[in-house]
Amino acid sequence: MALNHNLRLALSNCNRILSRKSNIFETPFLFGCSEVINIRQKKVWIRPPRVKYPLWFLQKERAEYIENLTRNNKAFIEEVVHDQCGAPAVKSGIETYNTPLKIEPLQPLEITTSSKRTGLIGKIIGQYPLWMKNGEKCRTTLVQVVDNHIIKYIPPEEFKPNRKPYRGEPKRKLGCLLVGAESGDPSLYTKEYCGLFKNSGVPPKKKLCRFIITPDAMLPPGTPLTAAHFRPREFLDVRGLTVDRGFQGVMKRWGFKGMPATHGVTKSHRRGGCIASGAGKARVYPGKKMPGHMGNRWRIAKGTEVLRINTTEPMMPQRCWLNQSSSLVVRAPL
Amino acid sequence: MLSCISRVHRSTRLNSLTILRNLSKNSPLQFENAENGEKKLSIPQENRFMYQEFLPDPELKFRNQVREKLERSDMIKRRSVIDIPSFFVGSILSVTSADKHDPNKTRKFVGICIQKRYCGLRHEFVLRNVVDNLGIEIAYDMYDPTIHNITVLRLEKRLDDDLLYLRDALPQYSTFPFDMEPEYLLDGAPVPINDIKVKLKPRPWVGRWERKGYKGIDDVDQHITEKMKGQKKKLEEPWEKYDLMKEYRRTIPEEEQEEIFSEVFSELHQLSLSNKKLKKSRVYVKPKKTG
Repeated sequence: MALNHNLRLALSNCNRILSRKSNIFETPFLFGCSEVINIRQKKVWIRPPRVKYPLWFLQKERAEYIENLTRNNKAFIEEVVHDQCGAPAVKSGIETYNTPLKIEPLQPLEITTSSKRTGLIGKIIGQYPLWMKNGEKCRTTLVQVVDNHIIKYIPPEEFKPNRKPYRGEPKRKLGCLLVGAESGDPSLYTKEYCGLFKNSGVPPKKKLCRFIITPDAMLPPGTPLTAAHFRPREFLDVRGLTVDRGFQGVMKRWGFKGMPATHGVTKSHRRGGCIASGAGKARVYPGKKMPGHMGNRWRIAKGTEVLRINTTEPMMPQRCWLNQSSSLVVRAPL
Repeated sequence: MLSCISRVHRSTRLNSLTILRNLSKNSPLQFENAENGEKKLSIPQENRFMYQEFLPDPELKFRNQVREKLERSDMIKRRSVIDIPSFFVGSILSVTSADKHDPNKTRKFVGICIQKRYCGLRHEFVLRNVVDNLGIEIAYDMYDPTIHNITVLRLEKRLDDDLLYLRDALPQYSTFPFDMEPEYLLDGAPVPINDIKVKLKPRPWVGRWERKGYKGIDDVDQHITEKMKGQKKKLEEPWEKYDLMKEYRRTIPEEEQEEIFSEVFSELHQLSLSNKKLKKSRVYVKPKKTG
């Protein structure tokens, strides 16, 4: 037991070391491989934790404390923020900053059928009726794309997905783009979090997301992304939170039929009935459909169709069923 | 609002053609002298009734400024294609729409508007008529592109906000001939209010009409039992009209209404003017006798 305890200690120590590292991609060898540590003059193989936190998993909001700022101090801070991020602006109903572009004009990319482009971060802003060419009415979901910028590109050599590497693994071909949406006030976030955005020349974003791409679809940091990234008649995968329905019974959660209303049925009209048999294994099989919490989970609505794109107010109506309150991740199918 | 409209008493007999009415009811424009001497369009107060669907749903959960703006621009785009006249619950309309099952590919329906519901682009109106002793109701989307034509045959208001009780009224109150001719109002005349009291059929009914406090029903109490009368009295909420918060949540504030109409009014006004011109220039073709 003592050894076990020591092991755990070592592990926790290991964790601390990892979290102190600023860029975990610079030390790829540390991850996924076992380490030899001396414990009481014995060599012990210790497996590091499998969970690898990506570089943007940082403390975001800073602690709130009383700063006793004078009016002049506040004005000075605002001035500094505006110098860094540009003048405050309201873009399609959302408060952000009018950051000037710091990148050179882009050359059009050569995209092939095998290349994977980046996705966007959007927001559902309501339902919208549309009529198709054949006169059919179609209920669509409006997705607003607000102030998306590319924050960082991680090439395939540095990009390690979250799993254990194995010997003879083929060369990695996919890189990763970090995309942020909705600029925020840098004085509200921590120093580490603001440091993420230093190279892109963009104020810290409220929402960050990772998109796995092929290197030919790479875009330099600081590139603004709009709804014009997609076209009508494209089919997208949309990831978001489903509607939170709370603790639900078996009929609503799994679509069970329930039991009859009459014919001697008492107190079990909406019950699931028998959950297992006593004859075979005499236990409840794992994964049995039972009552419980329903909704509020991350789900992907695959193959939602883009019906229309508005570029002046960047948004796209599409067929979708995700929750209105959550922000969405939209990308072309993998 | 009621005070500004003089009531026109009509004989209770239907099909009486005593009053001439105007199809495109546009009050004359007023100009306000601004401080710098420029002429500024003042937005008529009746807009909130005429263009009711331009006001968004007051429920805060469904509000989004960007979406509302987009909806309004789409509505105006649709209005620039066809002339959508303003009408009220109780007006009699004829609607021609595309129907792929019809041999002529179009279908004309005439009926009384018994309900107007939903806001923005999804605004609907329900028409009711009795054809071959069978009550028919069709809900039309106002901004549906399959609608070819909307004509107001008789422009008038009723005493209630919806006329759903016509479902349980005698069929004569919702029977209208399909070849009904439009009646015209004088230019600038107020919209007449038809204060007809409808006689209901004996129970059972589709709804609990006695509880809703409709003004357009003739003596509800003669149909209902003593117990129902007691229930009706129990459920009455006469204090509701003094509930300011309820009123506030139910409606869009006046300042916001002004903001919305100032955005769309100039385009709406131009559209109505151009529609008026078109109507005048249309050549009347006398129908030929056949058979």
